[in-house]
Amino acid sequence: MQKRWQVGIATFILLLSIVFGVGASQMPSETGYAGIGAAFVPTVVTIFLAAVGALLMWQALSGGFRNFTDSVVGLAADNRGGLWVTGGILLMSLLITKAGFVVAATTLFVCVARGFGSKHTLRDAITGAALVFPVFWLFTLVLDVNLPRLFNDWL
Amino acid sequence: MIETWNLLLGGFGTALQPMNLMWAFVGCALGTAIGVLPGIGPALTVAMLLPVTAKVEPAGALIMLCGVYYGAAYGGSTTSILMNTPGESSSIMTALEGNAMAKHGRAGPALATAAIGSFIAGTIGVILLTLFAPLVADLALKFGPAEFFSLMVLAFVTVSSVLGSSMLRGMVSLALGLAIGLVGMDSIAGIPRYTAGVPELIDGIEFVLVAVGLFAVGEALYSVLYDPKGENTQRNKLTSVWMTKDDWKRSWPAWLRGTAIGFPFGSVPAGGAEIPTFLSYSAERKLSKFPREFSGEGGKGAIEGVAGPEAANNATAAGALVPLLTLGIPTSATAAILIAAFQNYNIQPGPLLFQTSGPLVWGLIASLYVGNVMLLVLNLPLVGMWARLLTIPKPQLYAGILVFASIGVYGMRQSAFDLVLMYVIGVIGVVMRRFDFPVAPVIVGMILGPMSEKQLRNALSIAQGDWLIFFKQPIACTFMVLTIAVMFIPIILRKRGVRLSEDD
Repeated sequence: MQKRWQVGIATFILLLSIVFGVGASQMPSETGYAGIGAAFVPTVVTIFLAAVGALLMWQALSGGFRNFTDSVVGLAADNRGGLWVTGGILLMSLLITKAGFVVAATTLFVCVARGFGSKHTLRDAITGAALVFPVFWLFTLVLDVNLPRLFNDWL
Repeated sequence: MIETWNLLLGGFGTALQPMNLMWAFVGCALGTAIGVLPGIGPALTVAMLLPVTAKVEPAGALIMLCGVYYGAAYGGSTTSILMNTPGESSSIMTALEGNAMAKHGRAGPALATAAIGSFIAGTIGVILLTLFAPLVADLALKFGPAEFFSLMVLAFVTVSSVLGSSMLRGMVSLALGLAIGLVGMDSIAGIPRYTAGVPELIDGIEFVLVAVGLFAVGEALYSVLYDPKGENTQRNKLTSVWMTKDDWKRSWPAWLRGTAIGFPFGSVPAGGAEIPTFLSYSAERKLSKFPREFSGEGGKGAIEGVAGPEAANNATAAGALVPLLTLGIPTSATAAILIAAFQNYNIQPGPLLFQTSGPLVWGLIASLYVGNVMLLVLNLPLVGMWARLLTIPKPQLYAGILVFASIGVYGMRQSAFDLVLMYVIGVIGVVMRRFDFPVAPVIVGMILGPMSEKQLRNALSIAQGDWLIFFKQPIACTFMVLTIAVMFIPIILRKRGVRLSEDD
């Protein structure tokens, strides 16, 4: 399991270097007075990514990452909690334009608190709203930052 | 010299008028309050409050704006320490050590050392500004692209201090940051790079978004997945609210070093506040007697790592006023907006400013002294209150952190796309944390990458493609030699059997 993850990470970096390399090769080769153009630094970064990716792959295949002790041995991931937090953020991004900022941010608050094991949903909703309202007013009324509203100017 | 003091005394006469004192107070309070919000740095704060000053007379308005500038620079450190959500690039290093301290129950000392360090650095900065402004300005003008590029090469090399327990994994993080930094419009030729046709990406990826995603969202997700009950951290246990004697002893040299690094950087055009905080952090880490305490080593957070960068940050803010007042050159986004504010009142910063609007400028400089004291008075009593925020139970604490993080990210461009991007980066942050990849080098690469590319290409354009330019100009050459020394001296010393410290 460990090894598969480590190989996966190294593969990701190597793939990224290929993507960046292809991108760099398609950039205009005009160099102007400098002698180097828009593609120069992307090429350097590509080589850098490929080099560290290859080294990482070598470490992953030859006994795992060096100087690495797994800090969470024996601790299973709490996937339910993770899903609540994920759901909260994604719900907020969906709700923010539809139901307004206050509703979206309060939903996020309730979901995250739930994910961390809070059982008092109603109390969390009230706490969340009490936190979000003043920030909303500060942004929209004092600072003139447009946050999506619901109903009228106050919500 | 005596003439300078007389002018400064006259300035204090202006700054200490009750009305102006009030404006300084309002500026500091507003700046701190808004600077605390993640995603809103000093530049944005000053810009947003610019219209508010329209009805105030020039001296009062400028005094207030400078208060906002200082307050916002300080406010950003509070959220970085408490919530790990750095609102601007110069707070990244503070977040790194400060949050580690907060997690181990030492939020109070971290906040206190930031507040006092800001005060000391700000005050020394203003004294230097008073005495040496014209001299510094002359030197600053000698900085061109070649000098900047070699300075950034030095900054890149010192970044090794944030690489963490494995050099290779640190390098992977740095490469990732450099790659993210490439996304967007190329700053010299205006060619879109790696945008995949997505219009949102032409502006590049906001570093605040990446920082909040990696630091705050990544940590919340990691925490809920692997440690939902909070058994592995002492975040909720406050061991001390105030700095101990030992904290003082370790903080003050760091404050002074941070100031010495920060002020000159602020005064060179296009210097920015990031590099001095990076340099100060790595200096503290190299010099510390307790290298094991630094968060990169898995330690509890070292107080020097907060004291130094915070002092450097505020000294940079004072230093930035040197070229602003004497040459009319803005060295940071915030300074550029301050120039706009000056121009609102038909005041043109530049060599003639001290002659044409002498009383006003000296009033402004005097009010900086006043503002520094005010910030300290305003913020020290609040340290206890802020630190107690962390005793909030974990579900509500993390819920609050994520709400603030999303407000900051959403507020920047009002784009729901950014919230999803923040989540995706947060997931990457979890994987990085799980496999012990340090997250700070990503941000460092993202910031330094585009800056150094721009300076490199400008320098080479001026030199017609001659790469030796970096060794032909004295200042640039000095930085290059320094870089080589920083790289090779530890290796030579080790070969001769001298051990510097554990992590060298």
